[in-house]
Amino acid sequence: MSVYDTIVIGAGLTGLTAACRLAQAGQKVLLTALGEGALLLAPGCIDVLGFQPADSQQPVKDPLAQLDSFLSDNPDHPYRLLGKETLAAGLTAFQELVNRHGLNFQGDPHHNWHLPTTIGAVHPTCLAPASMAGGDLQKAAKVLIVGFRELRDFYPTLIADNLNSQSLGVQASALQLDAPPPVAGRVNITPIQLAHAFEDPLFRRRLVQAVAPHSKGVDKIGFPAVLGLAEHAGVLADLQKGLGKPVFEINTLPPSVPGRRLFEALRDAFLKAGGRLIIGGKILAGRIENGRVVEIRLETASRAKPLRAENIILATGGIFGGGLQTDASGRVWEPIFGLPLHAEDNRHRWFTRSFFASTGQPVANYGVMVNARFNPVDEAGQPVAENLFAAGAVLAHSEWTRGRTGDGLAVTTAYAIAEQLTRSAQ
Amino acid sequence: MSTETTLDDITRSIWEQVQFTADLCVKCNICTSHCPVANVTDLFPGPKYVGPQAQRFRNPKELSVDDSLDYCSGCGVCTMVCPHGVKVMEMNAKARYKLYRDKKPIPLRNRLLGRTELQGMLGSPFAPIANAVFQLRPVRILTEWVLGIHRDAPFPPFSFETFRGWFRGVYQKSPHRLKSEKKVVYFHGCSTNYYEPRVGKAALAVLEHNGFEVVVPEQVCCGLPLLSNAEFDAARHKACQNIASLVKYAREGYKIVGTSTSCTLSLKSDYRHILDIDTEDARLVAEQTYDICEFLLDLANAGELKTDFQPMEAVIPYHAPCQLKAHNMGLPAIDLLEMIPGVKIQLVQADCCGIAGTYGYKKEKYQIGMDVGRPLFEQVIASGSPIAICDSETCRWQIGHATGAKMLHPVELLAQAYGLDVNQG
Repeated sequence: MSVYDTIVIGAGLTGLTAACRLAQAGQKVLLTALGEGALLLAPGCIDVLGFQPADSQQPVKDPLAQLDSFLSDNPDHPYRLLGKETLAAGLTAFQELVNRHGLNFQGDPHHNWHLPTTIGAVHPTCLAPASMAGGDLQKAAKVLIVGFRELRDFYPTLIADNLNSQSLGVQASALQLDAPPPVAGRVNITPIQLAHAFEDPLFRRRLVQAVAPHSKGVDKIGFPAVLGLAEHAGVLADLQKGLGKPVFEINTLPPSVPGRRLFEALRDAFLKAGGRLIIGGKILAGRIENGRVVEIRLETASRAKPLRAENIILATGGIFGGGLQTDASGRVWEPIFGLPLHAEDNRHRWFTRSFFASTGQPVANYGVMVNARFNPVDEAGQPVAENLFAAGAVLAHSEWTRGRTGDGLAVTTAYAIAEQLTRSAQ
Repeated sequence: MSTETTLDDITRSIWEQVQFTADLCVKCNICTSHCPVANVTDLFPGPKYVGPQAQRFRNPKELSVDDSLDYCSGCGVCTMVCPHGVKVMEMNAKARYKLYRDKKPIPLRNRLLGRTELQGMLGSPFAPIANAVFQLRPVRILTEWVLGIHRDAPFPPFSFETFRGWFRGVYQKSPHRLKSEKKVVYFHGCSTNYYEPRVGKAALAVLEHNGFEVVVPEQVCCGLPLLSNAEFDAARHKACQNIASLVKYAREGYKIVGTSTSCTLSLKSDYRHILDIDTEDARLVAEQTYDICEFLLDLANAGELKTDFQPMEAVIPYHAPCQLKAHNMGLPAIDLLEMIPGVKIQLVQADCCGIAGTYGYKKEKYQIGMDVGRPLFEQVIASGSPIAICDSETCRWQIGHATGAKMLHPVELLAQAYGLDVNQG
């Protein structure tokens, strides 16, 4: 029977951030997840607050300054448990963490980057890799957007036309290329495979030759976010040198290369700090006795294995992530501990009549209710277990799609819990 | 939570069947972006396309739709990283069986590679000659031309003395042999029997040192090489023989401990989930089966493992094989070996070594295997360590072949640290 200080369930942004911080603080940590979390599906930036009010057309410029207004519109959002100071401290700590492990995240909690998306819309985000922050649309510039015929779902003309139509001060032009060999002519290439190709210096030399003649008179050049994986920093520097201009990345459809870089940086930081990782290990159930989780059961290849720890962090995500389960009858439940939920077991109440309702969809706010320590609580506000904590998208009232608060919520709730657990251990 | 049976309970039991897990796929591409094969060749479009996506077009009464699935190495990284519970690798293994059954005869080469016992039975008695002949370059080139087994693929030398021969002839006759109330069953697998008896000897020494009397019952090849070469009927035959022999011990509560992570994974999971042998006996054997490091670490966590290790100053690279990760139990070897004072285990960050059982031996797949393993080989070489550790035999052979490192099973290092004479019994 294993004894850990903390077991973190879930390998998304929340779980990895919490696990890293605890392992680096000297705890014996096990991170276990049914599979890899959603980082590979996200642009790999940290959105803290993108639109306020949620149906505003104007992206937020200073997320921290808008927090009070956001919380008055969304009084139950978990940000209320953190406060501005913890929110800012969590973001700064996250930035330091990933930048110590080979990434280069830029930004601060009082500033949003406005980055172009893969359809040329504006993506307000707080912390972004330098390669993506370079695409910020708040400064007037002439930009060239380059795409490759081999990479589906990235159309430079669409991006440039949409950027130009929004009077952003950015003048965009488009260049669609055949990628150099060995990618040339391939179909079905994924961003990850293309990123591997970019790590080859010969591939990059050929690419620079193809792009350079079209780059006269532009201030910077945007590529799909495929500029290398482990060797990203070198790939970026080499392209900027070859083209003689700043180069930036624009997110693609999944799988996301910046998301993969972020996953790998956090995973490696965790392992380096002595953390133990089981990807592919589903937690079947947890047992709570006298107000404490005494055991959780891991589904191994042929039997359930009991695991024990002083503390458990539930970072299993919302309905999409599998942290909440639903069925055709409308039932909603938390599958590991059967926690009390803010939810309605009636499908007719999951949605409003309007898809784009300014109130959002009720189902997106379903989740685990917590107290100020992030212990799950019942309807009466009583903690279910004192050594169980919930963070990230599994939390109730964390509707993140409209305000774009998901990454900030993940990083800062993970931070707040990790701080609490390392403080209490001291 | 309510206890009544809902519609969802019923649909879930259907989903648990491998083919139906295709319905859990949300097309997120996490599997494809981690697929070691799809990342080095475009001959394999990736697990999402060949697995859950193509599954919709697989009708038992119609021909297979996609020949590219022959390039799936079966490593199982896809199943491991899938956050939605899709059994991608298992789905592909079954589809490959159907592909060969419907469309093409299984080549003689694949039939030979699938029969590790036959290779051993033919090679081992003539080991000195067989090894010398098989090292000759012209012989390997000829084997490549005639059979399609790549000339550079890593074949270890046959051992003249088989593990079973030693067990019967030396170990069982030894006056020092431990009699104990605590008993375990040892599943050695073909590699230990015919190529690396030293691994089995180390396992026995370590188990005995911890007070266990070791039983080595009748056993045959686990069947995985046959399974991965689409010979399901032959694999089922092996599986049933093993289950029949092992279940007698499982019923009495014996734990079945193995040193080959792929054999133990077959006993734990593949028999039921790929070969569809879902009997009470199969379940019982699966429940009682342990990887040796898993077994020893459980002992350690219960305070029952001897820790009289001699200190050993070393930083040693360790590769966790795909077939070990598929046990979903973590990497017990690391925690176990780091109990040896002075030992620091360096986990190599790589998905797969590329050999994938018999995959990397095939002429048309050897280079893919080497490309898959490159990041792993580079890390082992960069470590500068003369030895490296890995739980699975074909991975050891592949990494040794590519890096020149001396490859050990974790239990060999443990035996060394305990200061045990493994040849005595």
